Amino acid sequence: MKRKTQKHKTPSKVIRMDKTVYYLNPEFEFFGELKGLILKSSPTEKDKMVKKILGLGRVKLAVTSGIFMTGNNGLDFFDTVADLFIVGDDISKNRLRTFLTALEAEVGKEIKFTLMDKDEFQYRYGMFDRFIRVLLEGPHEKIINKLGI
Amino acid sequence: MSKNTLDKLFGSRTRVKLLRFLFRNYPTGFNAPELSRRIQEPTEETKKELEFLSALGLVQKSK
Repeated sequence: MKRKTQKHKTPSKVIRMDKTVYYLNPEFEFFGELKGLILKSSPTEKDKMVKKILGLGRVKLAVTSGIFMTGNNGLDFFDTVADLFIVGDDISKNRLRTFLTALEAEVGKEIKFTLMDKDEFQYRYGMFDRFIRVLLEGPHEKIINKLGI
Repeated sequence: MSKNTLDKLFGSRTRVKLLRFLFRNYPTGFNAPELSRRIQEPTEETKKELEFLSALGLVQKSK
């Protein structure tokens, strides 16, 4: 993964020597309440996400599930096959990588991501492919749907 | 509730991103450069927020 260029550079020597590890203190007075609040809020704004996905190429379908479902408090309640599923053609790999890196930074966790071209999706959709069925029968949201499914 | 609401309420986007990351990966601990990379925010800003959160008692440090 490429490192973002940083405005305020700390000398790299200091960074390498910095072994301090930070972790949450479960004894904090409002630990549980704060956890609920932080994890219940939607990890990313949907409108912004739709716009970015549309900019990746000729996107026909985008389905969010798992980590993006409201009420999923991050405990992997929904053992989803994909957090984000995109169907489209001519998807820019570079833009996709940048998009996913930024998205993972916002969400705070690795995203299960699947990409398919339109032909493959329609073939699999038509034959009741297990992956497609599990995704579309479980809790999900179609944030982009140009296929009328 | 939108993500923006929390950023405004907590007064810092980096602070909210840090907390979200730490809660999602709880109880794992991370060092500052790693956290900065994972939340895609500048190291200095990340360290500042980490110090703020440890002074508050929500975050603990260990060497």
